[in-house]
Amino acid sequence: MLVTWKYRPRNTFIQSLDPRTRLIFMFSIILALTIPEIWDYRLILAIFAIALTLYLMARIEWKDVRRIWLFIFILVFFIVGLNGLLSGRGGPSSVTNLPSPIIFNVPIKIPFTDIGWDVPITVSKAWFAITQVTRMMTMTLLALPIPYTTDPNVFGTAFKRMGAGDKFAFTMDLAFRFLPTFARDFIITMDAQRARGYEMDKLKGGIPERLRKLSPFIIPVVMQSTVTGEEVIDAMDLRAFGTKPRTWLKVLTYAPRDYVILGLGVAIFIACCTLKWGFGIGGYFVPDFFSNWILGL
Amino acid sequence: MNDKGTWEFGTRQVVYGAIGAALYGVLSWASNFVPLPAAGNVTFRPAVAVLIFFAVAYGPWVGFLAGIIGNTLGDALSGWGFYWNWSLGNGLMGLVAGLAAAAISDFRAQKDIIKAVGWGIAGVAVGMLFASLTEMFVGGIDLNTALVGYFTPAFIGNTVVTAILVPILMIAFAAVASRRGR
Amino acid sequence: MTPAPLSVENLTFKYRTRPELAIEDVSFELKQGELLLIAGSSGCGKTTLARCINGLIPRSYRGERSGKVLLYGKDVNDMEIPEMAQIVGTLLQDPERQIVASNVFNEIAFGPENLGLPRDEIIARVDQAMKRLNLEYLRERETFNLSGGEKQKVALAGVLTMNPSILLLDEPLASLDPASAHEALQVFRSLADEGKTVILVEHRVEDALEIKPDRLLYMEAGKIKYLGGIEKLPKEIDHTQVKLPAPWVVQRVKGLDKVEETARSHKSVERGEPLVVFEDVDFRYGEDYPLILQNVNLTINRGDLIAVLGPNGAGKSTLVKHAIGLLKPTRGRVLVEGKDTREMSVAQIAKVLGYVFQSPTHMLYAPTVTEELEFGPKNLGFAPDDIKVSVKESLSTVNLTGFDEYPPLGLSFGQQKRTTIAAVLAMRSKIMIMDEPTAGQDFANYTKFMDALCNTSNGAHSILTANFASTLFITHDIDLAVTYANRILLFGDKHIVADGKPEDVLKDADMLLKYRVRPTSLLSLNLELLSKTGEFLPAESLTKFVS
Repeated sequence: MLVTWKYRPRNTFIQSLDPRTRLIFMFSIILALTIPEIWDYRLILAIFAIALTLYLMARIEWKDVRRIWLFIFILVFFIVGLNGLLSGRGGPSSVTNLPSPIIFNVPIKIPFTDIGWDVPITVSKAWFAITQVTRMMTMTLLALPIPYTTDPNVFGTAFKRMGAGDKFAFTMDLAFRFLPTFARDFIITMDAQRARGYEMDKLKGGIPERLRKLSPFIIPVVMQSTVTGEEVIDAMDLRAFGTKPRTWLKVLTYAPRDYVILGLGVAIFIACCTLKWGFGIGGYFVPDFFSNWILGL
Repeated sequence: MNDKGTWEFGTRQVVYGAIGAALYGVLSWASNFVPLPAAGNVTFRPAVAVLIFFAVAYGPWVGFLAGIIGNTLGDALSGWGFYWNWSLGNGLMGLVAGLAAAAISDFRAQKDIIKAVGWGIAGVAVGMLFASLTEMFVGGIDLNTALVGYFTPAFIGNTVVTAILVPILMIAFAAVASRRGR
Repeated sequence: MTPAPLSVENLTFKYRTRPELAIEDVSFELKQGELLLIAGSSGCGKTTLARCINGLIPRSYRGERSGKVLLYGKDVNDMEIPEMAQIVGTLLQDPERQIVASNVFNEIAFGPENLGLPRDEIIARVDQAMKRLNLEYLRERETFNLSGGEKQKVALAGVLTMNPSILLLDEPLASLDPASAHEALQVFRSLADEGKTVILVEHRVEDALEIKPDRLLYMEAGKIKYLGGIEKLPKEIDHTQVKLPAPWVVQRVKGLDKVEETARSHKSVERGEPLVVFEDVDFRYGEDYPLILQNVNLTINRGDLIAVLGPNGAGKSTLVKHAIGLLKPTRGRVLVEGKDTREMSVAQIAKVLGYVFQSPTHMLYAPTVTEELEFGPKNLGFAPDDIKVSVKESLSTVNLTGFDEYPPLGLSFGQQKRTTIAAVLAMRSKIMIMDEPTAGQDFANYTKFMDALCNTSNGAHSILTANFASTLFITHDIDLAVTYANRILLFGDKHIVADGKPEDVLKDADMLLKYRVRPTSLLSLNLELLSKTGEFLPAESLTKFVS
């Protein structure tokens, strides 16, 4: 079980983009949705469609992400469901406090007590939940492909070129460098302790006890790494690290396609801000077709 | 150690920031395979103790770098994606915990261990609160949901791990440090 | 007259954290193109001297320093790091820790990048260094996946791109197998021939002699004991501190006029019943992966003391991992005391077979030595009273009594190594397996360590023979095999290519070379004297057979 990156070279439009483009585009969308607080399903659906298109263009193999998507669906539905039950006191979803017809009530009861109450699920809340799932999925569609489609070796350079300092950017590169070393050390340590009769999957006891029993697995590698660090510091000092502004050998250049995507990101951001603040479009509302449909059930 | 020592940012901080990040990333990733203790939706991730330990041993910058980069690496390795707010939250967790470094002289002494765990828990609180609250804007959830759905489980899990494993790591480190020449 | 590249004058240094002087009153001078060998056992001060030359002292290591280190007449104290780094290039002991980039090209470019040189210049320098060391084929590779020898060369290329005129090589052979060490040494020689001043710090003097250093600086306890040519054996050099060629050892022991008798009862132990059996074993990590073991047949019997030799990456570790059940064969089967390892957990096998991993840092975790030793027996479900007895006996066996409450992580490397042996002893396994038992230790320490494990006096049992029915160790030090083993497995090309008594297996020099095992002077001398000795002996014991 060696550590492997999710990244694979693919001949796709997405992977021909500059890594900075991908990050900046993602942030543009996050900001476009959050700063002007866009909750209009039409806008969200449009951006969702763009995000989905880009995701599909990345051509990530479904078997690689099946499990991840499953977990994300569970988490999103858990959070959205929780929000539906708890919401109503402040926060962005206070929009759902508007009077709205009740579809049904969910009885809540605090375990081991007699305290309980009914939470009404309104049409507004139901539509809000649907909008919210779409919005969260839009952001996930942009965030999830990054490790699958970005060469980890360019991360440091990408951050450097986006204005990070030499030292911060190099810390990223150095972390990537050590990752496989420590993964291997963990595996060797696991083997060494198993050879001493240690069976991690059979740990017994309460949670504190079980955590403590993980130390034969964790301590050797962590302590070894503190010793390694001293030697790495020497090695870097001896090669003049940090004494002058560094030359970063890797060059990143924006191609026309990068400007297209960057332009799209900025355009979406500006459009969302203008619509919301200039024309009052983009706020939350329940479309008639939904309330008619759900109340007609 | 004086204030300048605490906030110094040189080769040492780069190296231990990177090492801490790599360990945090690898251990977070390994959590996908190793059966971890869990209760309800609280998972006890031992990786957090490694982050807090690096912060306590090497200061706030190392904690910050190890947290922000390590969380990014862990998410990337596991294939979750790139979630800037959780990475930044982890960075803050390390940064705050790293404030303990200046106050610690003996990694074996009980009072120093208590200080370390205290700052560690403060770091967990600040970092996880930051990440949870940003979820309000990103995900459009309200405060209660952020606190119940995100903050509470993360805080409880990380606090328990910190309280139990950080002292063990510190005592081991005291022995290792006794062999060092500089 | 231009000043000497390096001139050290009355240098003394004491680390802030230690009471004793690390080096005392060291003086010498080097000429351009000179190759100096600095030798001595660990703790003699050679690493401290190296740190004074490359400027880590006083910049990174604090302490009290007096005397001078001059580079081309200029005091290192008056120089900035970038300036120094372009005069003295340092290759550290473990390339694994010197390499800071994920891929080869970036690694080699790291130094010039830090100097802030223009891109074109950096690329030109990297190309030149790669060409010089024949590394072009590695250009696009990831550094993590390189072999030890390749890592070393990449690290050296990274040093050369800084265009240093002095090269400081700090135990560069420590992590290399003999064949790679041989190649590395040739490179060092050729760099000196091109005019670089080369300082080679190494305790494997025998290997270093191969490239004919101009002078030898030998240190003991922080002081220079000998400085001069090495055409003939300098009598100041202690053969128990550094590794000398076997004929030198013989000559020196004869001169000392006291021949120590070391009895080696293990060599005459009778073969007993089979303990571990490999039957037609194949192994691969998965369908899409290549075979690592192919048709391996092997029986480990009671009384065996086996040395496994062979090139790195040939599958030696994979082989022994099958014995302990960490890996299960893809085809065929492995039997431990007659039971198939597929039907046993690793923990069950651990009761029979103890495995000491190469680096103690992969095993040691507990706050005290006692707890460390209790770990195995507790896992195996020993009764508390038995654990106590077992731990106590193991501690005294490896001579660590009194360290019961000491933290293992705070011990010296040699003590840590003994702690790991004790940890396995405490489990009362029947078979002991050691992966590279001497790795990370210098000659003086590992000789002491192996002697303590294997040697006996007055016919009594050694630690190994008294506690284990059989022992197997992996090594690439052929002299260990010559000195301590009674059976040799030569492993190469996925299977066992030779298996037998050391005297039979090791006489075929061509076959050894084919599997990257380089014959040594000790082996040659033993082969020469075999008709008189009847068995392989350590160099000291050969003395009485040499007229």
